[in-house]
Amino acid sequence: MNQALVTVILLLGLAVIVVRRRSVAIGLIAAQSLALGIGALGLAGGRSGDYLVASLVLLTKAVVLPVLLYALIRRTPEPRLVVAANGPLVRLAGAGAVALCAGLLMPPLGLGNSHTEHAAVALVLIGIAIVVARRPLLFQLLGLIVAENGLALLAVSVPGGLSYVVEIGALFDLAMIVTVAAAFVHRIHVELGTGDTERLGGLRD
Amino acid sequence: MTDLVPVLVVLVPAIPVVGAGLALLARTARQADRLAMATAVVTAVAALFLACTAFARGGRAALQGRWYLVDGASGLLLAVIAVVGLCSALVSPSYLRTSGRSWTTAARSRSLYYAALFVFWAALLAVPVAGNLAVVWLIVEATTAASALLVAFTGRRRALDAGWKYLVLTTLGLSVALLGIIVLAIGQANAGHHDLHALDWHTLRHAAHTLPKNPTLIAFVLLLAGLAAKIGWAPVHNWLPDAHSEAPAPISAMLSAALLPTVLLIAWRVKQTLEPSVGVATTRAVFIAFGLTSMLVAIPFLWQPLPWKRLLAYSSLEHMGVIALGIGFGTPLAIAGVVIHVAGHALAKALGFYAALPLLRIDSDAGRRAPTGVAGESPTTAAAMGISLAALAGLPPSPLFLSELLIVLGGVAAGQVVVTAVAVLALALGFLGLLHALIEGVIGEKPAHRRRRPERGQRSTVALTAILGTGLLALFAAGVLLVNSSFVETLTRGTL
Repeated sequence: MNQALVTVILLLGLAVIVVRRRSVAIGLIAAQSLALGIGALGLAGGRSGDYLVASLVLLTKAVVLPVLLYALIRRTPEPRLVVAANGPLVRLAGAGAVALCAGLLMPPLGLGNSHTEHAAVALVLIGIAIVVARRPLLFQLLGLIVAENGLALLAVSVPGGLSYVVEIGALFDLAMIVTVAAAFVHRIHVELGTGDTERLGGLRD
Repeated sequence: MTDLVPVLVVLVPAIPVVGAGLALLARTARQADRLAMATAVVTAVAALFLACTAFARGGRAALQGRWYLVDGASGLLLAVIAVVGLCSALVSPSYLRTSGRSWTTAARSRSLYYAALFVFWAALLAVPVAGNLAVVWLIVEATTAASALLVAFTGRRRALDAGWKYLVLTTLGLSVALLGIIVLAIGQANAGHHDLHALDWHTLRHAAHTLPKNPTLIAFVLLLAGLAAKIGWAPVHNWLPDAHSEAPAPISAMLSAALLPTVLLIAWRVKQTLEPSVGVATTRAVFIAFGLTSMLVAIPFLWQPLPWKRLLAYSSLEHMGVIALGIGFGTPLAIAGVVIHVAGHALAKALGFYAALPLLRIDSDAGRRAPTGVAGESPTTAAAMGISLAALAGLPPSPLFLSELLIVLGGVAAGQVVVTAVAVLALALGFLGLLHALIEGVIGEKPAHRRRRPERGQRSTVALTAILGTGLLALFAAGVLLVNSSFVETLTRGTL
């Protein structure tokens, strides 16, 4: 995949940890998925099967899931801004450090393209960092999608591609997890009036 | 009988999926209950038949098809999942009658509960017989979606918290595991194997020695670290006590007694598959590290006066650690111990969670604080709790006493004397913690302010206690015969 496109995908993932508004974060995820889809279509070349699967993945991740998430935020308005524990620059520095560590410490995975390997692993780690650093439920869900996009970046770069069964199965699983998580976000919002995970916590020993 | 295997492999997970669809069509609660009972019985019979087919092969090689793999380990897990799933389905009407509020409207809640339960059960039954690592991952991910909804079934704040934590943490864990699978796929693709079957268990096993060592080691570590989050191994076990304690009791039983060992089977298969490339010392060290850490982390919690289901959850952490240790030792004695431990833990833990149903009827605060003097109020419930706790603690004649003894002896046979000594200490401390809970919570004096209530609807508790208690005793006897059997020898050697 084109190195510039891979860098764009990585930067869009980093931006999710910084932005404040949920709608902007969903837009970033849609843009990241779109860039990933375009890259996958480029790699599919003349193979019609690969092209079809890449198109399906693009349509689902760049259109269907963002529309679902946008509908969700319309149904779960936040009464006030959920204040983050750390400022955007601190979060960015933390996620940037994680991404850098991935680049420096990760040994070769055998792909023969270290830029893609590092970007993919960095995205998985950034996804985990988003889940840890962001309090709103929806951002935690977006963290899962960023991590999944990192995996998808690596998967489409496998020589000859991954099996269709795995790609479509993983897409189906992602759609299922996002749907269930969306149901949770809605229900928790009904119960608490907010999607702030700090208000949810209470299970301690 | 083996001719039926390809059919049964499809049929066993398909029956509960059909049952889930039928449950959604049920118009009344009674209809939903009846459909669920019928589906559960048929599913369990089919799964047990398949399990028996696997056991009947004894020490012979695994049965393999294009999509499936049936070996001794598949048989063990199929039997465990079938029994626990059946019992959970049978006690569910009792739970639903008294559960009060739920996430959805009362009219739909029962149908949705059964639908999610059967989808969860179907996915669990598919894992031990799936012959491909990537397909297994897809199925395990599917269990997360169905079971997260069940964990939060009551719709209470704490249940939603537990369900959300479970969903997010295990999904992240499985993402890390998928990263490991993709790294393996890259290795296979570089060797010219591009299709899905490049990730079949037996293909990977045969190709393992040709896979590049470093990327395969990374893949192994990522897979184990990711699966650990789903198994509930320390230090990535945070979701486990919350999900087990907040889920409906029949679901807690399925999570603890069926889901955790099922995912552990995948970790075991990954070990067997990649060992030729990664090396025995490394795979052993990773399993032993997870095992010992889990056992040691569980101890302080087993000594605390915790609510009943939460105590059982921390006991699951300890027992998954014991199983990991046995697999890590990898000697015939330790593997015999693992087999008995998986089955014994399932029966004892399921009984413990089912006992939570009458316990919560006796004392509605039992979900928030440690039980005290249950025997003084409900001897039937106390008997179920006592048998469960005594078995989990490893009090003879519990099969867990035998299995832990075999694992310890297996550790010595493997030359892991220091690790074994630490494990014995951890087991002793865990035993004392559970014994304390047994004395204080079950046998001890009941609080003066609580009056004894008449025991109603205890027939199912008595029946389950008798059946599962007898099962535990039978397992102890069968366990003695298992040592040095060809079945255990084959499992130790690896069937892939």
